[in-house]
Amino acid sequence: MEYRSCLTDSTLPVVADTSVIINLNATGYSEALLGALPNRFLVVEEVSLELEVDSRTGRNDAEALSALVDQGSVELVRLGDAGTQHFISLVSGPANQTLDDGEAATIAYALEHGATALIDERKAIRICAERFGALSTGCTVDIFAQDDVQRILTRDTLADAVFNALYQGRMRVPDHYVGWVVNLIGEERAAQCRSLPASVRARRS
Amino acid sequence: MSLEELPAPNVGARLRVARETAGLTQADAASSIDIARTTLVAIEKGQRRIRADELQKLARRYRTSVNALLRHESVCIDLVPRFRKLSTVSDHATDNAARLLTDLVQAEAELENTLGITRTRNDPPERPLMPGDVHAQAETNATELRYWLGLGLAPVRDLVSLLELDLGVRVYVRPLDSQVSGLFAYDEEVGACMLLNANHPHERRTQTGGHELGHFSASRKKPDILHSNEQESSREERYASAFARAFLTPTHTVGHRFRDLTAGASHLTRRHVILLAHTFGISREAMVRRLEELGLTKPGTWDWFQANGGITDEQARQVLGDLAAVDTGKMEAERPTTLRLNLLAAEAWRKGLLSEGQLARLLRLSRVELREILDDVEIEEVEADGISKLPH
Repeated sequence: MEYRSCLTDSTLPVVADTSVIINLNATGYSEALLGALPNRFLVVEEVSLELEVDSRTGRNDAEALSALVDQGSVELVRLGDAGTQHFISLVSGPANQTLDDGEAATIAYALEHGATALIDERKAIRICAERFGALSTGCTVDIFAQDDVQRILTRDTLADAVFNALYQGRMRVPDHYVGWVVNLIGEERAAQCRSLPASVRARRS
Repeated sequence: MSLEELPAPNVGARLRVARETAGLTQADAASSIDIARTTLVAIEKGQRRIRADELQKLARRYRTSVNALLRHESVCIDLVPRFRKLSTVSDHATDNAARLLTDLVQAEAELENTLGITRTRNDPPERPLMPGDVHAQAETNATELRYWLGLGLAPVRDLVSLLELDLGVRVYVRPLDSQVSGLFAYDEEVGACMLLNANHPHERRTQTGGHELGHFSASRKKPDILHSNEQESSREERYASAFARAFLTPTHTVGHRFRDLTAGASHLTRRHVILLAHTFGISREAMVRRLEELGLTKPGTWDWFQANGGITDEQARQVLGDLAAVDTGKMEAERPTTLRLNLLAAEAWRKGLLSEGQLARLLRLSRVELREILDDVEIEEVEADGISKLPH
């Protein structure tokens, strides 16, 4: 099934959540992917801090992000006053209506600057839909499916990148993208990816 | 929700607990965000509303998140500072264990709150230490608790399950520094909590659990940490150890079993010790020392065994064969977090109550570790779909 990435306007910056950075690092092709993506690629400092905490188990996502920042592939950004107000509104209140700092700051920055928020977390997507209907949101797979990325990277490279994100990073894939992903990596490799729906994995088992 | 809508005293109290848990003084914390100490004091007392930028800086300094401080269901308990007050010297092993216990309790209690689960507690009557012989009081209180629980004089085969199911204690078995055997704390909000060292053999953990049960019985308001090879320097410690012996190895039952097993024998052998220790689920040394204490063997018997090659694990395997229990508690402790927390977290995630970021921080897991847990639970649920529907 064909699915078109939400990243159709190259002038709009994208701001990525923690889970997106972990998935990108897991691909093994983060530099090539971000090099092919025409949009400015931003990360809020709350996400950078979360990745430092995440390094407890030996993952080096904070270092990998730092390298991407040094190369100029990623820009680290901070919330302004309006973004901070959005941020506080997203982190305070009942648990089912709040998000952790990285997720909240990513959405708050996108709201403040009219950027596209890339966020894989389904609760965050639900909250965005309920509270900020006009906000543009996407997920990690939108990077892989973006037109320029598909044109510049070979299909094999792209398939390897997606498989690595799924296998190493346990990347989440929204339902509407599952067909596209399986078509790209093939059913045999899809069967090895435990973060894909069981129905997909069962086709090969 | 904006900061103005949040009750300032609640936020202040949570900030105080977070600061104390991080081991910072008010002066340290205030200077790290460029405010006067008196301003921080006012914020913690709820007399001055905190600003968003101050809150963000403090959350970073305290190694927590703003969301963890402002989420309604968050559970903030000050176990770490309470344990720190027990000792005047800084002790990393104790501090790490106290942090781990706090993390586990807070995560479990918040997940229960979020999912609307009410935990059943069954605190036994408290029996404060009286003047006089602590050993005699421990024997009396342990026997009383056994009857209160309906145990009678039977051996306790699985103390952890008894603590969890019959008394509602939150018990965690996790790997700790070898110097630490276990911790006990009691908090009105979350009840009694214990952390036992998974690196110690099952029998030793049982004895530690019995010791901490003694503290639950007599001095629950005061937290306890039991170190390996700790000298019983206080009446509370002597009471707790005596309580453990009396609860796990009741005088009458030990005497009865001892006579059964040694009937017709002229000497206490290694086989006798192995079988008795197995019956009561305690170590061979603890068993022999209890026999000495009860006058069933002469003083110095354990030292004699030690001086003559000891009683080895291999000998125990030869005697017990298949009866030698598999240490499932230790096996479970090798996982990143407990099985119950896994299930609660997966349920909260499945229902969209907590996000991946919130859960990873709450359980102190990396994102990928958390995803692996969520994937595993989801696979089981898909496989179980339609098999059996629970009544609630």
